Amino acid sequence: MSELVRLTEVTKVYQGGITGALNGVSVAVEKGEFAAIMGPSGSGKSTMLNLVAGLDRPSSGTVTVGGTDLGKLGEAGLARFRRDHIGFVFQFFYLLPNLTALENILIPAQLKGNVVPGRARELLEQLAIKEVADRYPALLSGGQQQRVAIARALINNPTLLLADEPTGALDTHTGDQVMELLGELHRHGQTILLVTHDAKLATRHAARVISVMDGKIVDDARLESPDRTASEVIRVRGEEVSR
Amino acid sequence: MTAVLVKAFRDLRRRRLQAVVVFVTTLLAVGTGTIALTLIAQTSDPYQTAFEAQKGAHLVVDFDGKVDPGALAGTPAAIGASAFAGPYRATDMQFQSGGHKYTVTTIARDNPGGDVGQLRITGGRWPSSSNEIALTRSFADLNHVSLGDRLRVLSVPQASILTVVGVVVDIDELRADVGGQQHAWVIESAFASLTTKGASFYQMDYRFSSDPTSAQLQAHLDTLRASVPPDSITGSISYIFARTVFHISTEILTGVLVAFSVFALAATAAIVANLVTGIVISAYREIGIMKAVGFTPTQVIGVFVLQILVPTATASVIGIPAAMVLSQPLLASNSQALGLAYQPTYSPLLGLLALAGALLIVTIAALLPAFRAGRLKPAIVIANAAAPRGHSGRWLRRLASQARLPRSVVLGLGDATARPVRALLTLLAVVLGVATVVVALGETRTFNEIYSYEGHIGKVDVVVAKSPALADADTTKLINSQPETGRVVAQAFANITAHGIADPVNTLTFRGDSASLGYLLTSGRWFSGPGEVVANGGFLQDAHLNVGDSFTGSVNGAALKLRIVGVVYDFTSGPGGHILMLDWTTLAAGVPDLFPSSYMVTLKSGSNVDAYVRRLAAAQPDLLDVQAASTGNTAFLSVIAVVLLGIAGLIALIAIAGIFNTVLLNTRERLRDTATLKTLGMSPRQVIAMVATSGGFLALLGGLIAVPAGVALYRVLFDQLSALGGNTTPPSFYDVFATWELIAIPIVGVAVAIAAATIPGRWAARTNVVEVLHAE
Ligand SMILES: Nc1ncnc2c1ncn2[C@@H]1O[C@H](COP(=O)(O)OP(=O)(O)OP(=O)(O)O)[C@@H](O)[C@H]1O
Ligand SMILES: [Mg+2]
Repeated sequence: MSELVRLTEVTKVYQGGITGALNGVSVAVEKGEFAAIMGPSGSGKSTMLNLVAGLDRPSSGTVTVGGTDLGKLGEAGLARFRRDHIGFVFQFFYLLPNLTALENILIPAQLKGNVVPGRARELLEQLAIKEVADRYPALLSGGQQQRVAIARALINNPTLLLADEPTGALDTHTGDQVMELLGELHRHGQTILLVTHDAKLATRHAARVISVMDGKIVDDARLESPDRTASEVIRVRGEEVSR
Repeated sequence: MTAVLVKAFRDLRRRRLQAVVVFVTTLLAVGTGTIALTLIAQTSDPYQTAFEAQKGAHLVVDFDGKVDPGALAGTPAAIGASAFAGPYRATDMQFQSGGHKYTVTTIARDNPGGDVGQLRITGGRWPSSSNEIALTRSFADLNHVSLGDRLRVLSVPQASILTVVGVVVDIDELRADVGGQQHAWVIESAFASLTTKGASFYQMDYRFSSDPTSAQLQAHLDTLRASVPPDSITGSISYIFARTVFHISTEILTGVLVAFSVFALAATAAIVANLVTGIVISAYREIGIMKAVGFTPTQVIGVFVLQILVPTATASVIGIPAAMVLSQPLLASNSQALGLAYQPTYSPLLGLLALAGALLIVTIAALLPAFRAGRLKPAIVIANAAAPRGHSGRWLRRLASQARLPRSVVLGLGDATARPVRALLTLLAVVLGVATVVVALGETRTFNEIYSYEGHIGKVDVVVAKSPALADADTTKLINSQPETGRVVAQAFANITAHGIADPVNTLTFRGDSASLGYLLTSGRWFSGPGEVVANGGFLQDAHLNVGDSFTGSVNGAALKLRIVGVVYDFTSGPGGHILMLDWTTLAAGVPDLFPSSYMVTLKSGSNVDAYVRRLAAAQPDLLDVQAASTGNTAFLSVIAVVLLGIAGLIALIAIAGIFNTVLLNTRERLRDTATLKTLGMSPRQVIAMVATSGGFLALLGGLIAVPAGVALYRVLFDQLSALGGNTTPPSFYDVFATWELIAIPIVGVAVAIAAATIPGRWAARTNVVEVLHAE
């Protein structure tokens, strides 16, 4: 398997931040992996994801995705990089309120100058949201909104799918459905980096759990068979993780 | 109350940029309004003041030189005049000064005072010996003639020199810059040597105890006509006409100015309403919190209105006095034309009126959206965080998508129309701005066109004015002997008396191919033979005649059968004036001693006009005045142009501020959406393109509406101008705009709007995605 993401000695100090949000993080993610980043609130999970997406720049260290050192790209270069390689799913969906579901999904392709109605229809079908294609986000349920957001993230066939607490704003049942969907995508070969502070969710689908605390990686567990070792992980890291 | 103040001022500090937008737009609008108000308030003043102070004549009448002056002494009583002056002897006199030749009406008068038509000496003194002369200040200023200058008299065979010893203001004649031959004065003993036999006439000034109406003046003229031999009255000027002419430039200006200042205020109101709506929308959650902590609806409204009123009041306090100072030169030009020492006048009342108007309009514009804020239910507002957004841009986005426009452009179009009220208010400002520019440009051009038209620019190259002392045959022979001479049309002035028209009608008589002079006919055709005549619209109206009608005129006591064949577009006769144009052969029958006063020469193509003018002038340096055809003195036109274009520029600036403001509000409200788009891979350039599109689109739409609207408005104003001369505008005169200009104006507007929108566009492109989304 080839390496897709590599963080080397990455630190991030926000303006006005007293301590770093990330303090010397080094980690690599292989192509085809489904890795979960876990940790308590404020531990630096989102910060890490944002750096991988090229939405922000590290204070020191390097972030490499697919062999490209993101530090070497300018603003326009980063935008192109995101468009071509990254799909991003947020906790609060962030659909554009004045565009219909379908229009939202098509945006990343159109920014690239592509017209891909076939691909969009395929995704609508696959994510079971065909019937809401022409509705505006305000008229969709949370679960439907998140599916639309996932379809939008996938429209350009991204190398890497980043999801930051994708179930955080959903009820348990809907959240489970979304996680099932991610698992399904992973089985079809999609590389996924998932941020969550829910250990159960992390271990049910991800084959690897990276645990973060105070901006440092405190554990990196590869689970040969996720289902079997799930309870173990929860037991071992229970204290920190469930905080 | 303190809570409201504290909150309002804190908000002001936070929304500095918006405060600046309000400040700048109200500054411009209040400035425009104040200049307009100042001009309107003061135009009638200086003339009236001078008219009273100098006991101006209500009626000045010229009588033929053959009339018995003793008989004229009885005329004031006949028409019930309370005072009179004259009969003065007068004559047209041509003289040369500084290389130029001028014709003035020289009047014999020993004393500048009297019961009627006093002359105010503004420089020098009254002539006391027979080689001295006094001129009007208006004439001296316009032609740069100064005290002490020596004038060489050309209109009489025996050359004589007159020294300018006095400059006076005469309230009873037309101002020199608008046209009209000016008066000049010599003492009675000097008069005889300055006129030729049969060339002098008498002038009487009449004044009534109260200002007569034009109908009354008309009746008085009829009475006068009946009391002297037929055709003895050769001309007359009423105070109403003189006043109209005096005010004509300011009158044209004020009409347009009033329209423009209404535009400026409307555009500002639109921007203010937009701003407050924008603040209400972006402060949606805050409003909920304000109410939750105990602000009453009225207090919430107060906070929003105050935020707008503070910059408005500041702008007014600066703008109103500044505009008053700026309008002084315009006011001064009017007073100076009358020789009144100009006292800068600042009316505090007017300032207060402008202030109250500005505050009122802005408050109303701010109140409407603020009411909405006051009515919001706290719970709903806090829960929704942001105001609901419209989907009205959808059809437009669809259309743009189908046109395969880049995504950032499509999104920008959607943004432009997402809030329809905001889009409409912005459009209003843009339409007003662009339309004003079109109108200002059009009017300015029209004034110049009219002058070119009256000066036969493009049809005639050289105008030769002949002294009566030189024979027509000699002049014609001289002109025709020049190799470059192409076509010559000779022109003579005459006065024809027509039934129903009180004054003798100014009549232009042409010899030669007069059709080639390019006079425009609003109906009918140019005359083509004896007995045929064209008249201006004012003549037809007042004489109750139509094209095809015949009437009998009289000239020098001889009756002339005339038939109207066309209506000519003409301004030279002034507001309400009359003019007739006919062929030489028509008049020559009744006036055997008819002689041309000027020759309009068209040179063969490729000829050197300057060389021609110099050669011809040198051939008869004293008796011919040879000039390249020109529009004459159009100084007052450039004043009008500066004022119109300047104010149009200000309103255009307001429109640009409106676009900037709207784009700013849009990008602020859509910061999160922009951040989201950036995570989806929208590049900084695409962000700027999106924002610029939203601004450019509104400008384009506004331009597409404003250009035809502006052209239509321009035509209406032009028609009114034409109506001053009793004319209907010939269609070809409307075409002052080239097609490319009408296309270029909206394009330039779009370019400027895009440039203005690029500023918030850059801010949007630079937004830090992580920070924006983190703050959610
Ligand atoms: N844009 C920002 N500006 C300043 N500080 C920030 C910013 N974003 C994050 N931080 C700070 O950096 C630290 C890490 O934040 P981060 O959002 O990465 O945590 P997280 O693990 O995603 O937390 P959560 O589970 O609550 O989402 C926190 O202390 C946070 O307050
Ligand atoms: Mg987070």
